[in-house]
Amino acid sequence: MNTPTLSKTKKTARGIFGTLIIPVAVGLILWIVCAANGVSMFSNAQSLTIFVRGVATVMLTTIALAINLNSGRFDFSLGSVATLSAVISAQITLNAGGNALTMLILSIVFGILLGAVSGGIYVLLRLPPIITSLGVALLYEGLAFTITKGSNVSFYGKTDVSGITTNVLYMLIIIAAVLLITIVLFDRSRFGYRYKALMAGQKVSVNTGIKEVSNAVVCYAFSGALMSIVGYLTATSVGIISVDILNFGSIGVMFSAFLPMFIGGFIGRYSNDKLGYLLAAITMTFFSMTYSALSVKSSTQSIINAVLLVVFLIYLSNEKTVKDIAALKHIRNLFKKKTDGETNND
Amino acid sequence: MDKVKTNEKFSKRQKLISLTPIIGLVILLILYVVIGIIKDINFKAGFEAIVNQSVILAIVATGAIFIFTLGSFDISLGASTLVSACAGGLVYNATGSVALMLLTCVAASLAASLVSSVLGSIFNLPVFVTTVAMMSVLSAVSEMLITGKGGNQIRISGLSGLENIWVKLIFLVIFTAICVFVFEFTKVGRRQKALGGNPVCAKLTGISVKTYAILAFIMAGVGIGLGGFLTAVRASTITSGTASDIGMNIFIAIVFGGMPISGGPRSRIYAAIIGSFSIRILSQILTMLLAAVPGANGIAQIVRAIFFLAMVYLASMNYRTKMLPR
Amino acid sequence: MKTLKKIVSVAVALALIATAVLALASCGEAKKVKIGVIVADATGSEALSFRNYYKEYIEQNYAVEFLYSDALTDAEAEKAAIENFITSGCKAIISLASADRPAQIEQCEKAGVYYAVASGVLNDDEYAKYKDYKYYVGAIGPSLDVEYQTGYEMAKAQIAQGKTKFAIYGAGVGYRIDMHVQRTAGMLAALCEDESTTYGGVSIPGAIIGSLYTDGEVSLSKFQSSKYELVGYHALWNFGDATWQANLASVVAAEPEVILCAGTGLSVFGQAVSGTNVKICDIDSFTSDYATAMQNGTVTYLAGKYASSIGPIFAAVLDAVNGHAVKTEAGEALALGQSYWVATSYAQFEKFQSADSVANPIFNKTLLDTVVGDSISYGTFKTFVETDRTPA
Repeated sequence: MNTPTLSKTKKTARGIFGTLIIPVAVGLILWIVCAANGVSMFSNAQSLTIFVRGVATVMLTTIALAINLNSGRFDFSLGSVATLSAVISAQITLNAGGNALTMLILSIVFGILLGAVSGGIYVLLRLPPIITSLGVALLYEGLAFTITKGSNVSFYGKTDVSGITTNVLYMLIIIAAVLLITIVLFDRSRFGYRYKALMAGQKVSVNTGIKEVSNAVVCYAFSGALMSIVGYLTATSVGIISVDILNFGSIGVMFSAFLPMFIGGFIGRYSNDKLGYLLAAITMTFFSMTYSALSVKSSTQSIINAVLLVVFLIYLSNEKTVKDIAALKHIRNLFKKKTDGETNND
Repeated sequence: MDKVKTNEKFSKRQKLISLTPIIGLVILLILYVVIGIIKDINFKAGFEAIVNQSVILAIVATGAIFIFTLGSFDISLGASTLVSACAGGLVYNATGSVALMLLTCVAASLAASLVSSVLGSIFNLPVFVTTVAMMSVLSAVSEMLITGKGGNQIRISGLSGLENIWVKLIFLVIFTAICVFVFEFTKVGRRQKALGGNPVCAKLTGISVKTYAILAFIMAGVGIGLGGFLTAVRASTITSGTASDIGMNIFIAIVFGGMPISGGPRSRIYAAIIGSFSIRILSQILTMLLAAVPGANGIAQIVRAIFFLAMVYLASMNYRTKMLPR
Repeated sequence: MKTLKKIVSVAVALALIATAVLALASCGEAKKVKIGVIVADATGSEALSFRNYYKEYIEQNYAVEFLYSDALTDAEAEKAAIENFITSGCKAIISLASADRPAQIEQCEKAGVYYAVASGVLNDDEYAKYKDYKYYVGAIGPSLDVEYQTGYEMAKAQIAQGKTKFAIYGAGVGYRIDMHVQRTAGMLAALCEDESTTYGGVSIPGAIIGSLYTDGEVSLSKFQSSKYELVGYHALWNFGDATWQANLASVVAAEPEVILCAGTGLSVFGQAVSGTNVKICDIDSFTSDYATAMQNGTVTYLAGKYASSIGPIFAAVLDAVNGHAVKTEAGEALALGQSYWVATSYAQFEKFQSADSVANPIFNKTLLDTVVGDSISYGTFKTFVETDRTPA
């Protein structure tokens, strides 16, 4: 009599389990590893700030990448948008006077502009997005270098500009706000429905009248806004913007977001992919904190991250086979055939 | 009659557009010569510099064409070239044998390529993401090779005799000839183009995706190995930054040279060579014009970006689609 | 089709006109000696101060033109940059990049282009091999011994003040950059002068240097002392990496009394230590950020190169290009040392900063002209370089 309710409960439980299993399991395992080595991920007063900032940065980058990549648009220009928007907003704020909020708002404005220009180049030239993003990356890196005349931008002593990145509450507000806006825009708005329609079937969506061009440009602009916040957080937390990023020095940012994107997509099956990106960012930041606590060499970190990416992808691409193996399905089938055979003989 | 004339015009237009990369290369050469005369440059040194700086990229990119023809891409080519150079350098230092060094370079790169392709084939992984993971692994491997005995470099001495443009050109010509033969005159090339053009159709006609993907990575691996060998010869000191620009410059070179990024039957084996030489000549031109200008490096990169987008736009005018490309 | 042809023709014509105009724009100028400068760092404050000195002072006062490379990270890039400079007609190369100096020297020798090392030196083996090369002008800069000594004296100064709790920032030790390794080794050696202190079981400088080259880092577990604490180690410049940032924070959170930095310490730690009692001692250059830091007491010790310290090597290069290369009595290339200015107070810093500016450098034209010309003897040049020009 209670079967429909049970089924709903079961679904909810499954959803919660699927959503939380990866961050919780990873967090627990890494905590145990740290404890076994006599260290802790959160060893000092700054640890929480670093952690929240890491989560914010990874989450924003992952969403920025996923927005376009899910629609088949590789975007190598993410890092260059982050740097150039930070450079422009920093130059204005430091020269004309301003505080952290001013710089953040300016960063976002320029991030939207730069993203829109990137999207505009893509829709005007109608070239594969991977090509236009390479061109845009070169362009923006060159612009950042030229604007600063090849000189790094320093914030040393300008504590009024860096106020946000030293405050956990402000960064949590940024995370929550971005998450909310992203969910509303991409999951609950007409724009989002059109975005998903284009993702699922480009040709039929265009034929039904969905304006693909404006949708793409808005995606690029939103991605630019997110990366501008990343650029702002990074610049003001370390106190310097390095413009020595010519010849594709900025594209590494994109690669670091692949694993959290896949994790987020996996979690998205059980709840919401944007929430998944947040949880994936938490997972990856656990790793960063652990690497720091254990003083893991950067080459070892690279290998671990690469192996995790491949293993996770192998699982995702062969999920059914893995589940069958895990459930010992084949062995059970064999056993079942054998017992069926014996029963028949009897 | 009008329809015939229109068709003729259209095919002439298509032909002109398809020749845009070659026209671009010629224009760049003319500009280089004109500006060089005005600036009174050393042309002998200049042409040697262009060859020296283009050949390694051209060889690696030519091998990579086989991967791009399938509609895939490999982002780990630079890291693979570095591993190949490191392995070859260490073997040469241990044995003094150039032949062994060359064999080691090719073997190391083939191993790296096969790992990528086999992983992708066996586990049905998206090739691009596998190569992203391989890039990290190969970078770490090269760091271990470089710092294995302490220090931050592998120094190779005694190979200066091989560091000349004729050796490089011989490598380029021979490897390109082999690639052209395989790509244009064997079923390997034909089937790879078919897979890149329409994978579903190709599969249904019995073409094995996995086999030809592995073959593509093997061809690319040979190119990387030769590129790694020439890198070791040229650099003579290998550090973790060696060959770092090859990975992304391959994209630029082959697209600049007219290769469609989606691969398929429109793929051109010569795109890598045209693109590699084009971007180097463009760099030389910008160096001549802007070297004394403040912030020149940034301005040069902006000009390169605009030129790159313009060239690719012109070269792809034949293939405009109603929908946005993905 | 016609439209397309028009577009192509117009584009080609415009490109030709634009480039011809740009090229011709420089035609009317008097013939200047072109000197190529290859750099490993193009955007840091020290690199820019050197560049400004050459471009804004030397170019205005001598008939020379400096062409600068991109930031060069490896030997192949250095080779390509030198090829480009040779193509452009450079008569000399001044090197501030050190991925493969021997290869640079060989390349220039083969091309008949003069080569010099600024702000650095060759090691003894390299000097022995190249000192007789016709086109090798020489090296003027802090020797590796000076780099070691600078790190050593910086640490000793802190020990003399009674400091016992340290952290170290090794800068490019992870890349085995020689000057950073030597500076860091000097710091450790100073600490190891205490009887109870060893690094990796040894206290001999050579062994410490070897250990740093092998490990590519300072290993906290190797540091043993009953007098001093080494509470943290950090290196490199991975600003965007969360792990790197977490490690930086843990170094500051360990509350060392002072962070001994092998270079760029303020850029890395400046933001993180503000509001704390952690001090920074650094080996860098006299920039406005360091002025602020010294004024507010964050930086308490700065050993710096001044921008015009690369003036003498320019003078040597100009003499060589003009056919009057300055050689030692044995006819060998120059190998002359320079040292750092050390500021331990804001007043001292101000004095140093105002003593050497682009408008009014220490090595100004008047001074440089005393060693630019024919028949400048080695003795004169050596005295010129090695005279202590620290502002009184």
